Amino acid sequence: MSDTILFVALPYLALFICVFGSIYRIRTQPFSYSSLSSQFLESKGLMWGSLPWHIGITVILLAHVVAFLVPGLWQSLMSNQTVLMAVESIGLGLSFLCLLGLIVLAVRRLTSPKVQAVTSTMDLVVIFLLLLQVGLGAAIAVHCRWGSSWCSGTTTPYLWSILLLQPDTTHIHDLPLLVKAHIVSAWLFLLVIPFSRLLHMFAVPLEYLVRPPQNVVWNNPRRFEAQAQPFVKEEARRHFLNAGLGIAFGGFLLSMGTFRNIFSFFFGPRLSRKEEAELMELRLGRLESTVSQRKLELERQAANCILVAPLADLNSVTGKYFIDYKMQPAIAFKGKDGLPLFISAKCTHLGCTVSNRVDDQGKILCPCHVSYFDIETGQPNADAPAKEPLPHLGWVIMDERGKVLASRNAKGETTGAITALTEANARVYIAKSQEESA
Amino acid sequence: MISVGTALSAISQFIGERFPVDKLNFHSMVEKKEVPIHRMSWGYYTGGLTMFFFMIQVITGLFLLFYYQPTVSDANVSVEYINKYVAGGALIRNMHAWSSSFMILFAMVHLLTAFAMKSFVKPREITWIAGVLLLFITFTFGFTGYLLPWNQIAVNATKVGLQSVEYVGQYLPGQLAEVPKILRETFQGESSVGQSTLGRFYALHVVILPLALAGLLGLHLLSVQLHGMSQGVDQAAKKSEKFMSIFIFKDLSLWATVFLVLFVLAACIPFDSFLPFPLLAPFNALGSTPAGIKPEWYFYFVYYPLELLPFWVILIASMVCVSILIFAPWIFKGTSRRTLSFITILASIYLVVMTLFGEQIYEFFKH
Repeated sequence: MSDTILFVALPYLALFICVFGSIYRIRTQPFSYSSLSSQFLESKGLMWGSLPWHIGITVILLAHVVAFLVPGLWQSLMSNQTVLMAVESIGLGLSFLCLLGLIVLAVRRLTSPKVQAVTSTMDLVVIFLLLLQVGLGAAIAVHCRWGSSWCSGTTTPYLWSILLLQPDTTHIHDLPLLVKAHIVSAWLFLLVIPFSRLLHMFAVPLEYLVRPPQNVVWNNPRRFEAQAQPFVKEEARRHFLNAGLGIAFGGFLLSMGTFRNIFSFFFGPRLSRKEEAELMELRLGRLESTVSQRKLELERQAANCILVAPLADLNSVTGKYFIDYKMQPAIAFKGKDGLPLFISAKCTHLGCTVSNRVDDQGKILCPCHVSYFDIETGQPNADAPAKEPLPHLGWVIMDERGKVLASRNAKGETTGAITALTEANARVYIAKSQEESA
Repeated sequence: MISVGTALSAISQFIGERFPVDKLNFHSMVEKKEVPIHRMSWGYYTGGLTMFFFMIQVITGLFLLFYYQPTVSDANVSVEYINKYVAGGALIRNMHAWSSSFMILFAMVHLLTAFAMKSFVKPREITWIAGVLLLFITFTFGFTGYLLPWNQIAVNATKVGLQSVEYVGQYLPGQLAEVPKILRETFQGESSVGQSTLGRFYALHVVILPLALAGLLGLHLLSVQLHGMSQGVDQAAKKSEKFMSIFIFKDLSLWATVFLVLFVLAACIPFDSFLPFPLLAPFNALGSTPAGIKPEWYFYFVYYPLELLPFWVILIASMVCVSILIFAPWIFKGTSRRTLSFITILASIYLVVMTLFGEQIYEFFKH
């Protein structure tokens, strides 16, 4: 029984009164057909109330209308989970926007003395109804989720049945109380349209979009003078405020977007076992090369002579790098006489390490500034940036028992000789005594 | 004969004119300040932009500090770790690299425009000298930061750079000849570039230079705000805009745009991608130096001439240039802005040509 009154009788009454009442009012009182703007009385609160409210409700109403008018298309759209999710969240967000706007409007209407002066009882009814309706809508979005989907089997057929004059309340019979209240409140809403400022929603001022702009000028010299002076300052302040707000908002968005990344930067990576092992191996490798470097240093401090290579391993084309007693790089070749030839690899120009490959002319190249050094004399080519020759180093050849077979000091004076018999086991060393004398 | 009293009062007058205490308040330093509008107005933005890049350097640098390890065995691995594993690590490191280049670029542009606009004349001498010092600190930042990844090009370029310092010694008389060598050894810390060098450069790059730069920047900014923007053109501009908040607003929007560009650049183009791999391989003390060791692009304007001309020519030329820069407020006191612009354009042409075509010029003369 109550279903019939609320969902059949009330709708027809509301529709009838809404349609004919509106037409009657527009015909008889065309100038009352307005939203009764109070912008002149109070504009700041209106901006923060009216804008969010209208933006939110326009889109939400549009969605309601689309869902009702083209249920097939709507249903096919909502069957995509992502779209459903997006529509639901946008809807909920917009309903909060509406609520925010409405609350601002309500507070303004109740507190601003100027606005109070023009407020009628009907205005209060309207704002109460709106708050109720939007609140219910938001509550449905939260408590009875996926309304954009379930409406196709419930409210949409009910509305069509009302429109087609075959009222059928079975579709909505079992809906939760919240939804029923939302529907009843909607019909009440239609009912009050002809009696309130809500009538303005039938007058969408689309021509405002294309008409030339109009500027309201106060024709009052006193006000004009009072405004003229601070105008620039106000402008500047507004710019600054806008910029500040814009940057804060941009920063907020940026930090929202990058917060996860910034956080995980400091949180540090959590590596897989494999990656961990690879990394550890790499680190160990580097540590080992540092260790060997340190060992070289220690060896050069402690040992009287240091093995460079077996004589047989040296050749005259590709030199062997080694570190001399001063911890500087040097290269070991085999000279034309079959004896070792040790030459410093530290370029005399700016200290780069000289290449160990001898070219056709018996020269080695420093790649940094292109100096060619003759390995026999150590002299750089004539127009090279390096002017000083690369110094030669002394060496000592010993057999496996440590007996000195031959040696050469840094000045190039050679003593002893190598025979075919001793060559096989001969090892080449650098000796501390020679370094010190040099 | 100048008495101590007159000398002291001259000094106090000099300081008093550069730091007028009556202007040391928010009202005259910020609220009253106006920025002239003329055809060179864009020059007023270059300094702010340089400072913006410095701020980015500080922030990204702090980020990198969490993972970088300044030891010869770990430095290169830790950089690789940042690039490969840390969330957003490659982006942060890239931003640090790109922004360093931008910072130096804009510091140079700022110096050139300030010179052309004759922004150094009384009472702005201290602003100018602080600015020149800031530029040198910025270059030192570049030089010290270059070593930290501890790859082939980093260590070898540092070796060459430090060795060049020692080269100066041969032109100095007597005991002074030893000074550059002692200097190099102080910075190098051991017989060749190694752990001690890395530690020193790290301390310089991360603590000492930022502190020095921040202090000088404070002085620089204070005097900029005290004296306002220089008029910039010979005929005083008829129009001006408020510093607070029109100019600041424009400055901020420029920074925002530049940040977007930097972010996209850093996200898309790794700074390292301009170097061949052998140069980016971890430093190997036992191998030969790979070919193609070069300093960063912002040193090309001294690097290529250094390769081409005798060392003493460069030495004298750079000493002359540095003295001119430092003493510009007194040397160019009476020079018109037209002439200064002309000098600036010549200098800019030299800088651009040497930076872009230095290698070709070098090849042309050497072969």
